[in-house]
Amino acid sequence: MRVTFPHMGNIWIIVKTVLEDLGLEVLVPPRPNPKSLEAGVRHSPEFACFPLKLNIGDFVGALDQGAEAIVMAGGIGPCRLGHYAQVEAQVLKDLGYSAEMVVLEPPRGRFPQLWDKIRYLTGHRPVGRVIGALRFGWEKLKALDELDKVLALGRPAEAVRGSAAAAHRRAVASVCQAASIAGTRKAARAGAEDIALTAGASSGSVTLGPPRSRPLRVGVVGEVFMIQEPFANQEVERRLGEMGVETRRALYLSDWVRMHLLPPPVGLGARRRVRRIREAARPYLRHFVGGEGLDSVGEAVLHESELYDGVIHIAPFTCMPEIVAASLLPEVSRDLGIPVLSLFLDEHTGEAGLVTRLEAFVDLLERRRAVREGRADRQGIRLRGDAPAGGHGGHPVASRPSSPTPREAHGCPLVGFSGWRRGPR
Amino acid sequence: MSLADGSDLREGSTIGLPRGLHHYDLYPFWRTFLEDIGFRVVVSPPTCRRLVEQGCAAAADEACLPVKTFYGHVMDLRWNVEAVFVPRLVSLRPGTYTCPKMLGLPDMVRQNVRGMPRVVTADFDETRPGRGLLEAGVFLARRLGRSRALAKRALAKACGALRAFRGSLEAGASFDEAAGEAIRLGQATPRGANRPRPAQAAPMDPGTDRPDLSPEAKGCARRLPPRNGKVRVGVIGHSYNIFDAGVSLGLMEKLSRLECHLVTSEMLTEEEVQAESSRLPKEIFWSAGRRVLASATKFRREGLVDGVVHVVSFGCGPDSMVGEIAERETRRYSDIPYLAVTIDEHTAEAGLVTRLEAFVDMLERRRRRTRT
Ligand code: SF4
Ligand code: SF4
Repeated sequence: MRVTFPHMGNIWIIVKTVLEDLGLEVLVPPRPNPKSLEAGVRHSPEFACFPLKLNIGDFVGALDQGAEAIVMAGGIGPCRLGHYAQVEAQVLKDLGYSAEMVVLEPPRGRFPQLWDKIRYLTGHRPVGRVIGALRFGWEKLKALDELDKVLALGRPAEAVRGSAAAAHRRAVASVCQAASIAGTRKAARAGAEDIALTAGASSGSVTLGPPRSRPLRVGVVGEVFMIQEPFANQEVERRLGEMGVETRRALYLSDWVRMHLLPPPVGLGARRRVRRIREAARPYLRHFVGGEGLDSVGEAVLHESELYDGVIHIAPFTCMPEIVAASLLPEVSRDLGIPVLSLFLDEHTGEAGLVTRLEAFVDLLERRRAVREGRADRQGIRLRGDAPAGGHGGHPVASRPSSPTPREAHGCPLVGFSGWRRGPR
Repeated sequence: MSLADGSDLREGSTIGLPRGLHHYDLYPFWRTFLEDIGFRVVVSPPTCRRLVEQGCAAAADEACLPVKTFYGHVMDLRWNVEAVFVPRLVSLRPGTYTCPKMLGLPDMVRQNVRGMPRVVTADFDETRPGRGLLEAGVFLARRLGRSRALAKRALAKACGALRAFRGSLEAGASFDEAAGEAIRLGQATPRGANRPRPAQAAPMDPGTDRPDLSPEAKGCARRLPPRNGKVRVGVIGHSYNIFDAGVSLGLMEKLSRLECHLVTSEMLTEEEVQAESSRLPKEIFWSAGRRVLASATKFRREGLVDGVVHVVSFGCGPDSMVGEIAERETRRYSDIPYLAVTIDEHTAEAGLVTRLEAFVDMLERRRRRTRT
């Protein structure tokens, strides 16, 4: 049985490693590209979320090459991911494919269900073997995330455009090829050094001009697929990096695994982060809304205290949890004075428009930094510590129509109970 | 931030109910409950252009029309009441959720609408034990300084009202008729009534006039009026899309003016929805979407309608998935025509009329053809 699975950033390397290690024949779909996107858009429901359309594109590509089964992630609501597999099965059925779909769902309170699926997939190989494969995959996941982080820091420093990315590609390839846990670790270390050296060495030769202050730092928050998949987010991280901005994703996949899948002692730090995110979001949003909606709000608030210069919020068009987040982020921005740019992207998003918005945003961040360092006049720029803007539109990025009534920070009072800190009894 | 104390909302304080979203599922329940614990309840006026426009100005651009309209209703109420009631409906039935946007609703209106009075809210979550509609209702009343006994009495009445409301809807009443009657009836219901699970709406006795149908099919079929040569159109969609003429651009009225019988997804009993849902490999976990798909399946399997109209809000997440499954299955397993009508604040009424007319025309032609 040749299995395939959808793409999401570099995750294919990990899934391929794990499945192959378990002795399955794996067919990796072609990386998302304009052609697969076109196929996905043509066959998917018009208003489905963007990730689903890309999934369909991946599946069609892989099934045409002879894949027979699909491994897909599932969910239990309230967000759409939980029904992706059903809709995708319908679409593929009508297209005449007869692939079997194996859906890995987060266990609804119980783990065995997921475990059963894994055992089914692997043809009941010994438990030790499965665990070993998962451990190996986990190591690669950590390595790849580490390389991404190094790249995001190295890019703004590089003098020869693309040199850091080239080093990153080499490093990813060697991690991909590593055949053991030790080999993976070694490849990751060497790769990270390579990227840092390439970026650092090439910039070391440039000494003209005023010494630069530290690069601008921007947090990337939003829907998990859009953040991880550069094809979907139109390479926001690369574009920002090339404008001299360091980026850091709110969520790397390894963090997600730590938060949700690993048993407590390992994931402790990550779980603490989850609690902090919730606390931070509380003045604005007191309940989970599915997907990453709550995290987007909470991370934006935390980023302010962590001295980020700004936040970029990326979501697919019509994404419900992120629409909730996008409703609240302008208020976060107004209250705390951290610029937030919400980008809703899909197949219709034009590159030119996106670049213009990113440039305008980076300009704003530059001006704020100049004001902070006393190099420029304020001219309406608000900084950390300033009182929240009274009316509306105080912030260039908070795109809300103005209203005559100012209001206190954090909205009007809430009466009743919400968030269930103290139970009903 | 801690929640403000609400105990100064005394007897006779006015509380506003925005006429949008869950209003069309639970209005009789909220109204009876809030009045019985001593509030004066004010409901915002029916949706009109002005409300929609002001809602659109305050809500995020990406939000769907029903949410924007809800904002409009809240804004209309805000100057005239002491508090606005915006519950957070997480789940109305174990194993299901409402839409993520409804999960964020109280926070969104509280933050985005200027000049708001207080927002009274509570999390109602049937997926978690002890946090369902009733338990949370008692807790909310306690937070508002009312006694537990009073709250329980009020909730029992509210449940009665809700049951009566569902019963009328299932018998094919319009929202206004059903709600008006239910609120009156609710006041007369003895206390100690059952939990308000829509699942426990009174089952209809199986009909005998359609021997060709399976027993489970008879529930809904029995309640349908005879066709008398007219075409019968199944209208499926979320309650607010079906009942709020301001959101659906009067779709229901336009259809009935075209001389066809209407069956809506709101006419299915909870048992019927459950029966259809349990056939699926995976049940839909959005309560509204579950009903939409169940009605589409039922209409198709039992041949109850000549055509299906699905009212969808532009950009609606759940319906983009559920509607797709419903449409594909209807096309694959039957020849019943399926029309998805997508509506947002820019939809032109004239275009809608044209589409509906063409659709109903087509249904009539098909019907004549099959009869001759
Ligand atoms: S988070 Fe957004 S994009 Fe992802 S599945 Fe949910 S609705 Fe779709
Ligand atoms: S279910 Fe659809 S129409 Fe209703 S609030 Fe959610 S997205 Fe909007």
